[in-house]
Amino acid sequence: MKFWKPGTGRAIETIGAWMLGGVWLLPVLFAFWSAFHPAQFSTSFELFAPLTMDNFVRAWSYAPFPRYLLNTFVLVTLILAAQFVLCTLAAYGFARFEFYGKNVVFALVLLQLMIMPEVLLVENYRTISILGLLDTIPAIGLPYMASAFGIFLLRQSFKTIPKELVEAAQVEGVSAVGILWKVYVPLARSTYIAYGLVSVSYHWNNFLWPLVITSSVNSRPLTVGLAIFGAPESGVDWSIITAATVMTMAPLLVAFILFQRQFVQSFMHSGIK
Amino acid sequence: MSTITLKDACKSWGSTQALTNINFKCENGKLLVLLGPSGCGKSTTLRLIAGLDTPTSGIVEIGGRDVSNLPPVKRNISMVFQNYALFPHLSVEENILFGLKARKVPKNEQKKRLENAADLLGLSNLLDRKPAQLSGGQRQRVALGRSIVAQVSVCLMDEPLSNLDAKLRQEMRQEIRALQQRLKMTMIYVTHDQVEAMTIADRIILMKDGVIEQHGTPEDLYNRPATAFTGSFIGNPPMNILTPDIEFMEEFSSMLPPGSTPSYLVGIRPENIVISKKSGLKSSVLAIEYLGADSLLQCQSGEQAITVTVKGKTEISKGDHLKLNWESKHIHLFDGKNGKRIIDSARGVTP
Amino acid sequence: MKTKFKLGYWNHVNGWLLVLPAVFMISLFTHFPIASNLFHSLFSMGTVTRPATFIGMENYVFLMDDDIFWKVLTNNLIYSMCTVPLSIAMALGMALLINRNIKGRSLVRMSFFTPTVLPMIAVANIWLFFYTPEYGLFDQVFSVFGGDSHNWLGNPDTALYCLIVMVIWKESGFFMVFYLAALQQLSPELKEAGLVEGSGKWYYFRRVTFPLLMPTTLFVTVNAVVNSFKLVDHLVIMTKGGPDNASSLLLYYIYENAFSFWDTSYAATLTVVLVLILAIITIFQFIVVEKRIHYQ
Repeated sequence: MKFWKPGTGRAIETIGAWMLGGVWLLPVLFAFWSAFHPAQFSTSFELFAPLTMDNFVRAWSYAPFPRYLLNTFVLVTLILAAQFVLCTLAAYGFARFEFYGKNVVFALVLLQLMIMPEVLLVENYRTISILGLLDTIPAIGLPYMASAFGIFLLRQSFKTIPKELVEAAQVEGVSAVGILWKVYVPLARSTYIAYGLVSVSYHWNNFLWPLVITSSVNSRPLTVGLAIFGAPESGVDWSIITAATVMTMAPLLVAFILFQRQFVQSFMHSGIK
Repeated sequence: MSTITLKDACKSWGSTQALTNINFKCENGKLLVLLGPSGCGKSTTLRLIAGLDTPTSGIVEIGGRDVSNLPPVKRNISMVFQNYALFPHLSVEENILFGLKARKVPKNEQKKRLENAADLLGLSNLLDRKPAQLSGGQRQRVALGRSIVAQVSVCLMDEPLSNLDAKLRQEMRQEIRALQQRLKMTMIYVTHDQVEAMTIADRIILMKDGVIEQHGTPEDLYNRPATAFTGSFIGNPPMNILTPDIEFMEEFSSMLPPGSTPSYLVGIRPENIVISKKSGLKSSVLAIEYLGADSLLQCQSGEQAITVTVKGKTEISKGDHLKLNWESKHIHLFDGKNGKRIIDSARGVTP
Repeated sequence: MKTKFKLGYWNHVNGWLLVLPAVFMISLFTHFPIASNLFHSLFSMGTVTRPATFIGMENYVFLMDDDIFWKVLTNNLIYSMCTVPLSIAMALGMALLINRNIKGRSLVRMSFFTPTVLPMIAVANIWLFFYTPEYGLFDQVFSVFGGDSHNWLGNPDTALYCLIVMVIWKESGFFMVFYLAALQQLSPELKEAGLVEGSGKWYYFRRVTFPLLMPTTLFVTVNAVVNSFKLVDHLVIMTKGGPDNASSLLLYYIYENAFSFWDTSYAATLTVVLVLILAIITIFQFIVVEKRIHYQ
């Protein structure tokens, strides 16, 4: 075994990991570089190029980014709240009750894991327009509110809760709703956090469905706003586009850097079935 | 020849010193047990010998060759792990042959060794099973099989029986001992169970806090514990370690070696204490545990708790006042400060 | 789990009441549209003056003759066949690289994972610039080695592969996380047993690590394949499927038909194909999962 030269093989791997990490971060670093420097520096790198906030100011003035940000924020919150309620109830039903057709219904629910609402955007657009909700924030969220993924995760988590705890609560005379609220939900806390983070990042970043369903500033989320702003035909300067791009990704990125461990673990958690 | 020698081996992780100056020699074909409570450094010592860790300083020799910086594979050893380390996706046969295939041993040789080992361990009709389909004892045998087919003379065992139930443990340890003697292996065996150590070992090294407390035969450790810790670790129930007060000293001066002072610790095994009508240490019975062949009396004398073993079921009941006595030859004297055995010149006994 | 809850009857009612809201919503936006899609694919495109009429299989006949459809489908297959194995291999490599105590481990892990939390739209914007002729990063790097300027995204031969490279960058870190989780669940004792038994790195990887990661690989593969069919955000920014549909993917073609050409019935027909593909993946997954060896 030649690799066992204490140090060398390991050092090569460490350096390899760093280099790959560096390459991986490059596009993001570049975006930040370009956003904070005058336009002529986005194509040439100079360490001491002057910093500027000008790109942000101009992006801010060209398009209603505060409004987009607010829309995204409302959207993400709305979806998450609805998901928590709907998925908790359904997961509780699937995890704890025996009813006719349970397995069939559960299998049907899981179909949504594979065929997500954006795949069916033609028909979903039709449904939303029949409901008269075109170009509204709830319309963006509606197809995602009952999430098979959330139901699945919570059901798994509920099923691992020891039966003794439930029985102890029953002996104490706690009702079925009380058991859900006082036993299941608190014990599945980490699953809620994990699912919450995954859901927020998904919907913060979601694009195609919001693109087709929105048509005005009043409902457009950040991603769609950015796409329209950055379209080549808009003729806006490159560094201003990167400033807008940075604005779009910054909130999530900052949250990610602050709660890195939590994020990574949540995504891990959500993948272990 | 595969004598194993450690010379001043030290291991530290950052500022934590896991092992300090470990020196010992395990002769070829002997079974040496590394014994001690958890965290004493026994597993770390084994890992230094295996090459899974390297000593911070000091030397590990196997068969007279300095292997301190060699990878495990170059040390000609085999190892049985606490949780057996069987590959869950491979069958028993593939598990046993894993190392031989890695080392590209010829196919027919592989087959021969496999048959041998399977015969020896009674695994012949389990070869196609996956580890998950085996009982704990069978998994243990597969792990043993893997180290047998390697045909190396050094076998390292890291708490190999700790996952088995009591009855199986007893069977397996006899089997391991028989196997070791039959194959003339040099074996280093880590355990925290003193009964296991006493029954299986040629020699025992008792460790505590990263240092060797005592190295000797099982009889040495039982009869002449080098420290109060050894005394209380070996033997079941453990040795009573008494801190004599002045009163005690006065009463028992006759039973103690001349020149004893209250800074000594007095060790006396429960089975060596007799209940006397006439004289002895006054104590009262707090509790009685009946074990069948023996009963244990939990007694209290002043501040001290003393355990006494008596034969069979006893007439004594809780709350009785007893006088405890013992022959002076059964006394073990330890230094009150460092717990070391004190040379008993009167009896010419050296620790 | 058969917990009796007062009367069996109430068990059924309560169970149904609990799952009903979610099941209704899911049906409304998944099952119902699948059915109605199938239905609409049998009709002609309706206009203001001429309502949609039943035309049977005509849309499907058109589809079979639609060169763009075949082009897009081929693109999507190439796209999947490249992004899925490459990003999985990348992910596994990354996970193996940082599944040990190296200096700056969490920093490296963070940089691998960062693309995952970024919106595809933002990513597409950044990479669009990388691919810009002359000024873009790629051309600048190439010019150092004396290369000519390329119109990376404007060239039908390279456009699709440019997207593939970007998607691998975006997704590898995401899949890496699952490998990391799986690697952490492997007992270190196995690794040590491997060392004692004299297995080299590659031998150990081939015979132990990789087989033990199989369930994760399956999970990740299915995820990656599904993603390669349902994530087309970047096309909107980077190529709009062009040039000449060279980089178009199935879902993007559906989007174009529905919302640029307003041919919703043909879009519905295309959607039927996409749903079929996803259904096949689902069935494949179920079969393999059923067969999957349960180690523990």
